[in-house]
Amino acid sequence: MSTAEPIIRLAGVTKRFGRTVAVDDVTIDVPRGRCLGWLGPNGSGKTTLIRCMLGLARVSAGTIEVRGREVPRDVRQALAGVGAIVEEPRFYPYLTGRRNLEVAAGFVGHEAFGRIDDALGRVDLAGAAGTAVKKYSLGMRQRLGVARSLLTDPELLILDEPSNGLDPAGMAEFRQMIRSFVEQDGRTVFISSHLLDEVEKLADDIAIVQAGSLVAHGTVAELVAGGAATVRVRVDEPERARAVLGALRFVSGVQAPEPRTLDVSVERVDDESSMAIARALVESGIGVAEIVQRRESLEERFLDITRAEEPPTAPEAPS
Amino acid sequence: MTRALLRTIVGRKGSFLGTIGVTLGAVIVVAVVLAIVHGLRPGRNPSIGGQPMLDGVSGAVWLLGGVGAIVIGALAGSYDVAQGTMRYLVLTGVRRIGMYAARTTALVAAVLLALLPALVLGLVLVFLLPHETAANVNASEVGDVVWTCFLWPTVFAVIAMGIGSLLRSNGAAVAISLFFAFAAAPLLGLVSAASETLGNLMLLPALARVTGDNHGAPIAAAAAAVVGWVALFWCAGAVRITRDEY
Repeated sequence: MSTAEPIIRLAGVTKRFGRTVAVDDVTIDVPRGRCLGWLGPNGSGKTTLIRCMLGLARVSAGTIEVRGREVPRDVRQALAGVGAIVEEPRFYPYLTGRRNLEVAAGFVGHEAFGRIDDALGRVDLAGAAGTAVKKYSLGMRQRLGVARSLLTDPELLILDEPSNGLDPAGMAEFRQMIRSFVEQDGRTVFISSHLLDEVEKLADDIAIVQAGSLVAHGTVAELVAGGAATVRVRVDEPERARAVLGALRFVSGVQAPEPRTLDVSVERVDDESSMAIARALVESGIGVAEIVQRRESLEERFLDITRAEEPPTAPEAPS
Repeated sequence: MTRALLRTIVGRKGSFLGTIGVTLGAVIVVAVVLAIVHGLRPGRNPSIGGQPMLDGVSGAVWLLGGVGAIVIGALAGSYDVAQGTMRYLVLTGVRRIGMYAARTTALVAAVLLALLPALVLGLVLVFLLPHETAANVNASEVGDVVWTCFLWPTVFAVIAMGIGSLLRSNGAAVAISLFFAFAAAPLLGLVSAASETLGNLMLLPALARVTGDNHGAPIAAAAAAVVGWVALFWCAGAVRITRDEY
């Protein structure tokens, strides 16, 4: 398979539970060698989509291809190069970390046994490998989950809310580890989260989902660029300034959030538009105290997108 | 895969080591009781070992080993789903029916391993403990006891695994499996009141027939009935395993 081909291809994927639509007509190609953040509020169908991609649940409509193989038809070949954590990593608590990996290796294949030591070392659990999992902290279980995912030597890692329950230091460490999978190993990481901050720091590309639908997709810069762009001006005659600016060709609207302050919506926030606004105001004899270019942050953009429709919450599938 | 699953079954020490401990303990209790009654009235109870000990071992391992095997089997069926580890086994891409078959093999191996220590100890005591010549046992009698002590628990363990796979809850799986073995299965014997032929094909009479009972259905029919009963529960579990979403 060509490396240019997407590692995940979703076409019209829909998953219904009775009358509830948990995943709604999702179509996206996930490129190789990058980290995609699948971002959405709780209950937006993130885990359900992941379960469908991994052959754990059947789609109601649409097709899923993972590594060029159709799921669930060719699920075994598709998953041969995939590691995953779904919701939370679960283990046999009475077995040690190493024994748990040996159980997993027994399913993956003989070569997986040779990867156990490397995987434990990679997640910094070599020293605790002989301890029963019931004595592990949540962070250690998350890392053991990643180690288990590595037993297939995966080209694709699918991680569902992997930093849930981690403290800030643990989250930073976890992010570093995930980035190393992309940057050093060239693996693709598909990570779902409801934590915008986490996804922004981790992902190359972001897909935003709301009530099961994919509502935005692109790099951080592209998503922010798609948001509202304004130039904020502070003037001595706001009413006259409003009239002057409203007449400019590239201005789509003028708001007054505070007295003497105007937010001017423009097609593109750049120096040219700011200078044109300043020139128009000065030429009209209006005093200008301040001009500031304002672009929506990713957080504002995310809130804009997810508040846009506020549909009823789509539940996650029963586990 | 079978070895990996065996490891998860025998790793549940409460059920696996518990069964070993209880059956070993029961065999020792049988030996101690026989020694005491021999000591109290040696004329009436001339033998500690031999046939009396063999009968005691058979009863102890059959009954307590059966209970242990049912618990082991029920947990083998329900634990992975209840614990959430099932989805991680499924997403390795292994065929679910293959996994279920491997789990059955692992369960049978685990039950045999759990019962073996008590059976070996019991048989050693049968021959080592003092007994009169009339109480000597022969190879055929030993073979019958070994066959009975392995087959009954194994059959109920596999049935319990099917029930556990259906119910997906550890507590419910153990409770319903024990209920089936000690209440539902004996009650099914009432069918013989309506039809003796049909009654002979119920699980308990059929099992008794294939483990030495001289009465009942022809042995081939009884064996087929036992296989059918096990297959019924096994297939019900298999359907659930292969169709469920995780």
